[in-house]
Amino acid sequence: MSDPTATQDLIKGADEPAASPVAVRGGQRSLWRDTWDILKRRKIFWISLVMLVVFLLMAAFPSLFTHKDPEYATLAKSMELPSADAWFGYDLQGRDVYARAVYGARTSIIVGVLATLATVLLGGLTGVLAAYFGRWLDAIISRVGEMFLGLPYVLGAIIILGTVAPAQSNPGKATIMAVVIIVLALLGWPILMRIARSAVIQAKHQDYVQAARALGAGPLRIIFKHLLPNSLAPILVYSTITIGSYIGAEATLSLLGIGLRSPVISWGIAIADHASYIRTAPHAMFFPAGFLSLCVLTFVMLGEAVRDALDPKLR
Amino acid sequence: MGRYAIRRLLQLVPVVLGTTFIINYMVWQLPGDPFAGRCGQRPCPDSYVAAMRDQFGLDQPLLVQYWNFLKNLLTGNLGVNFNGVSVASELGDAWPITIRLALMAVLFEAVIGIGAGVLSGLKRGGFIDNVVTISTLFLLSLPIFVTGYLLQWLLGVQLGVITPTVTDEATVPELIVPALVLASLNMAFTARLTRTSIVENLRADYVRTAVAKGLSNRRVVAIHLLRNSLIPVLTFLGTEVGSLMSGAIITEGIFNIHGIGGLLWRAILDQDYTVVVPVATLLVLVYLLANLLVDLLYGVLDPRIRYE
Repeated sequence: MSDPTATQDLIKGADEPAASPVAVRGGQRSLWRDTWDILKRRKIFWISLVMLVVFLLMAAFPSLFTHKDPEYATLAKSMELPSADAWFGYDLQGRDVYARAVYGARTSIIVGVLATLATVLLGGLTGVLAAYFGRWLDAIISRVGEMFLGLPYVLGAIIILGTVAPAQSNPGKATIMAVVIIVLALLGWPILMRIARSAVIQAKHQDYVQAARALGAGPLRIIFKHLLPNSLAPILVYSTITIGSYIGAEATLSLLGIGLRSPVISWGIAIADHASYIRTAPHAMFFPAGFLSLCVLTFVMLGEAVRDALDPKLR
Repeated sequence: MGRYAIRRLLQLVPVVLGTTFIINYMVWQLPGDPFAGRCGQRPCPDSYVAAMRDQFGLDQPLLVQYWNFLKNLLTGNLGVNFNGVSVASELGDAWPITIRLALMAVLFEAVIGIGAGVLSGLKRGGFIDNVVTISTLFLLSLPIFVTGYLLQWLLGVQLGVITPTVTDEATVPELIVPALVLASLNMAFTARLTRTSIVENLRADYVRTAVAKGLSNRRVVAIHLLRNSLIPVLTFLGTEVGSLMSGAIITEGIFNIHGIGGLLWRAILDQDYTVVVPVATLLVLVYLLANLLVDLLYGVLDPRIRYE
C-alpha cells in the first residue's frame, strides 16, 4: 500500500527507547514488533494511514492539490454553487471553497499536533514526577490536575480565550495560534498526567527498576531509561486520538469566535463564517466541515487501530 | 459508606475552591481588557474603565476579590448583565429548558446507546456489530456542531420536517433533534462501553454457571448479564450529565434555544463577562456534584466495591 517507510518511521520512533531496557534485541519479540505484526494485517490501519499521508501532504504542499489562490476573491461570484470551474463553489467573499479547504489543513494539523505535543510534555512530565517522587509532590500535582479537570473543555477554553483574545479583538496570526495551542494543552494535561502516573506507579516496583536502583542508577536515569519507555504505549494511543479531538476542538473554538480568526485560513473559521448562510450557500459550510470530519476520523481510526494492536486484553 | 461520602465531600472542597479561583483569576486578572466589549467598537474612556474597576473591586488584593466573589455566589447575588437585567433571573428562565434538553439527551444516550451496545456485544463480529462499530466511529469523529448544522439543514431547511430553530417555549417535540445532536457523541461512547462490558462479562464464570443451570438465554442476558454489565455504563452516563450542560453551549447556540448554553453563547459573543463568570461557575459546580454523586452511586450499584 501507499507509504511503508512513513509507517516504519512511526513505529520505529516509538521503538528505539523501548527496546533498550527490555534488552531483547535480536531473537525475542518486543511489544512494538508484535504490535507492528498485528497492525500490518488490519485494513483500518492502512486506510487511516493513506488518509493521514494525504492530509499531511495537503498541509505541507497545498499547491499540489489546487492551483488557485485561497485569498483571491471575486465578489461577483459570491456564494456561487459548485460547478466544473470551482468544484466546491465559491464562498461569501467569492473565494474558492476548495482552495480554502485545502489550505485550511495546515492550520488545523499544526494546532492539533503541537497542542498534543505540549499536552504530552506537560502531562507526561508531571505524571512521571508525581509517580516517581510520590508524597507531597504527588498530592499537589494530583490536586491541581483535579482542579483543571473540573473545568469542562469548551467552558474552560471560553473562559481563558474570552479574556486573552476576546471575540472582537484582532491578534496576529502566530499569536492566536500559540494561544489556542496553550489553552488546549492547559486543559488537556491532567488526563495524560493520570495515564503516565499510573503507568509509572505500576512499573516502579518491578524487579528491573529495583535492580537498576541497586546498581546505583540515579533518578534521571531510572525515569528516562526505565520508567518512561513503559508508559509510552498508553501515551501513544491516547495522543493519536487526542490530535483528532484537538482538531475538532480548535474548530469549535473558532466557531465561537474566540479561537482562530481571519486572516488565518482554517476549517473552523470557514464553518463559522457561513453558518448564517446555511439556506442559500450550504456548500460553503459543508465542504470544509467534511474535510474537518475526515481529518478527525483519520486520527481516531489510527488511534483505535494502534490501541487494538497494543492492548493485550483484546488479543 | 457514610464516612466515605463525607471524605469525598471534603475532598471536593479544595477542588471547588481551586476551580472557581481559576475561573475568577482568568477572567479578571489575565492581560486583556474585561470591559472591552462594553463600549462597542471604540475603546472605553478611562473614566469609565476606572469606575468599572472600582465597581468590580479589581484594585483590591487578589484574595479579597476572590472572597467577595465567593460571598456573592453563596448569597445568590449574581449581579446584572450589560442591559441591567439580573443574571439570577435570566438563569431562572434558562435552567428548566437546559435541564429538559439534557434529560432528553441522556434518555437517548441510554436507550439507543445501550441498545446498540448490547446487540453488538452479544453477537461479536456479526452484521449488527460491524454496523455499530462503523457508525460509532463516524459519530466519534463528527464534531458536535457539524452534526448540528447538518441535521438543521437537512431536516429543517431541505425536508422541512422540523423548524430550523426552536421557539421560546422549547417544547419537548421541538427539542428532539437538538437533544439527539447533543447526545450523539456520548451515544457512541455508551454503545462502545456497553459492548466492551458485555463482551467481557460473557466470559465470566457466573454467566457460564447460569447457562449450566439450564436458564433460558433471555433470562441469562436480562437478569444476570445486563445487570452486571451496565454498572460502568450507568456511571459513565451520570458523569456525562455534567459535561452535557457545557456541551449544550454549542447545541443551544445552533438551534437558538434559550437555555443556559444559549445564554453563555450570547454572553461570549457580546463579551459580557458579568454573565459568563457566574454561569460558568454554576456549570462547573453541577459538573463536580454530578461526578461526586456517581462516585457514591457506584458503591450502591456494585456491592463488590467497598469503601475503606
